[in-house]
Amino acid sequence: MRRLTAALAVAMACLATACSATGAPVDLATVESVERPKPVGVETNPPTTTGAAAQVPPCDPGASLRPGPLPAPGAMPVGSTMRAIQERGRLIAGVDQNTFLFGFRNPTSNALEGFDIDRVREVAAAIFGDPNKVQYKVITSAERIDALKNGEVDIVVRTMTATCARWVDINFSAIYYTAGQRLLVDRSSPITGIDQLGGKQVCAAKGSTSLNRLRESPAPPEVVAVDNWSDCLLMLQQGQVVAVSTDDTILAGMVAQDPNVKMVGPKFTEEPYGIGIPKQNEDMVRFVNGVLEKSVADGSWAGSYNHWLARSGEQAAPPTLRYRD
Amino acid sequence: MVTAAPPEAERPSVLRKATRSATTTPGRLSVIAVGLLLLTVVTGLIGALTLQGKQATLDDLVDRREPLAAAAQQIFRSLSDADATAASAFLSGGVEPADLRARYERDIAQAGMALGKASSDVGGDSNASDQVAILSQQLPVYTGLIETARSNNRQGFPAGAAYLREASGLMRSKILPAAERLYDIDYERLTAEQKDARSFPWAAAVLVLGLLGALVATQRYLTRKTNRLLNVGLVTATVAVVVGLLWATVALLVEAAHVADAERNGSQQVDVLVQARINSLKCRADETLTLVARGDGPGYEREWQQLSATITGEGDANLLRQAKALASDDAIAGEVQQAVDNADAWLAAHRKVRELDDSGQYEEAVRFAIGDAPDSAAAAFGKLDKNLITALNAGRQEFFTQTTRAGQALTGLVPGVVVLALVAAIGITMGIRDRLREYR
Repeated sequence: MRRLTAALAVAMACLATACSATGAPVDLATVESVERPKPVGVETNPPTTTGAAAQVPPCDPGASLRPGPLPAPGAMPVGSTMRAIQERGRLIAGVDQNTFLFGFRNPTSNALEGFDIDRVREVAAAIFGDPNKVQYKVITSAERIDALKNGEVDIVVRTMTATCARWVDINFSAIYYTAGQRLLVDRSSPITGIDQLGGKQVCAAKGSTSLNRLRESPAPPEVVAVDNWSDCLLMLQQGQVVAVSTDDTILAGMVAQDPNVKMVGPKFTEEPYGIGIPKQNEDMVRFVNGVLEKSVADGSWAGSYNHWLARSGEQAAPPTLRYRD
Repeated sequence: MVTAAPPEAERPSVLRKATRSATTTPGRLSVIAVGLLLLTVVTGLIGALTLQGKQATLDDLVDRREPLAAAAQQIFRSLSDADATAASAFLSGGVEPADLRARYERDIAQAGMALGKASSDVGGDSNASDQVAILSQQLPVYTGLIETARSNNRQGFPAGAAYLREASGLMRSKILPAAERLYDIDYERLTAEQKDARSFPWAAAVLVLGLLGALVATQRYLTRKTNRLLNVGLVTATVAVVVGLLWATVALLVEAAHVADAERNGSQQVDVLVQARINSLKCRADETLTLVARGDGPGYEREWQQLSATITGEGDANLLRQAKALASDDAIAGEVQQAVDNADAWLAAHRKVRELDDSGQYEEAVRFAIGDAPDSAAAAFGKLDKNLITALNAGRQEFFTQTTRAGQALTGLVPGVVVLALVAAIGITMGIRDRLREYR
């Protein structure tokens, strides 16, 4: 019945239009604009993290706790944090799997590799005598402090800059590498420095020191915050940001993946990388510093550097480890 | 009596004539005859159109509504499986295994075909066409991202992982929700049309009963006026109307019963199974993505916990148990029971995957999740999915059979009603003409 009425209505409509011959051809469903895909969790100008607002006591972020003599692998002192790890049978390390050259998943072997991962393996080797006894937990930049505070991980080795604000919540090992913040742009881009970025879209990872530095810039850009550094390369490739700004080492990893991007401008910060360790585990801090000293002394630090980072710049000398006590 | 009335006065005079003639018995008889004939024609026409409409609704259910709902769920299934497969291929490291690549390609091709079918009739429903627009615009974007991820992967660049994450995010935040909404819309339209097919034709029924009453009243009036007990013409007409009424009533009752069966054992059963399948596919994607993310940051495992409760366990929340209760025969019930068992096996396998991963044995966890060992999570999920497909197809078959039977119950009814109406009309004409002759 409804069908009949509809048919009648259509017939009437046809008759009516045939008489007047007005109207237009059927709409072709024209698409005016297309929404580009974006990485999961991307935010423009996210609110500042509350940590920055708190009073931070002045400190020397590069100075850590002095190590004692290193115990033999598999014989950690009774009652120590290392002993608990040894008894558990594996070291739990918070790392990255997206930052080329530092901590990344090798798509061919499915294994995590990089300069940071080498540091984790050295610590595991020092505890167990076996560098493979590690459980990797992949965390984002923003999750690093909380993972340590909640005791989810024993150490965080994830291009983490030692700052006084972070020293309040966690401990750092001695500085095992010093990077500096720079800019990454398209090869054809006219941009040469951070002062030309005012009001432009620039990508940085959430919870990173690089992001805060961009905010403090005299010509503040629109900060596009993402979960992982590789998301920044993706947004640059998709033309959604004009630049990525972070440590030169991370940027070097991006240049290695895409010959159509380049690093520009001088280093405008100094980013001392330390291994993050929970605040209460001072014995672990001293132990890790011992491992770093050994690594620098026996040349494995230099070997690791040459393997991963040498192509990104000058031949770096091993760091001088400094202590506050 | 010739009146030289002006044309505008003609109509009232005709009316007056008719009113006056109705005061005499022959005049009254003529009016009754005309009235009865009109009522018969209208009743026959409405009845035939109503029944024709029912038949058309039933055909539409089988030819369009149900295939559309099936196509919508096919889109969801294919795309969700493509997403989980892409993640598995990524997890296997190196160049992805050929069978996973083939499965992904088949999923995408299948989704494209089903999308073509689903978009063939969005029928002016702007909500449905919005979903189709999202699907047809975003699907090519998704495949583009996957291929970018793949080429980066092959060069050993971790940017590949970032593209895969972006693709998966697009799939889960935009494409799959659109496919799910499209299915919901199509299923809603299916149930609405089933309700339509089951509904009682009140207008036609009232007309038929009215006609019957009028026929009986006319015969009683004639008996009183003429002292003759029976008028053959009117009796024939009455019999024709009664036959039509009985035939249509029985046929519609049988039809409604079949449509109800098609609903319960067919489309409702399929809907519950589809929900179970959607949830199981989401769970599978969560399982692999947790391993890809290497840590539970994005909350995939939390979603697994929530969704797996709808396909395992003893309670009423278990969709598979609901589906079993709706099964129409032992074969389907058996298939669904197997699905229940395989879902439980998968739950156990998933627990083992998490246990391995949480205790630092990542490689073993990956192997157990995507490997082809008989007790692996991949194997249990594969079996569950097969059970669900079999049960789904059986449910669709049941829907088709019952709805077709409903249509068969109406066979010949439309021409039958037309013929019976004609018989009644002829009977009325003959019967009253005989009486009128007696007044000449």
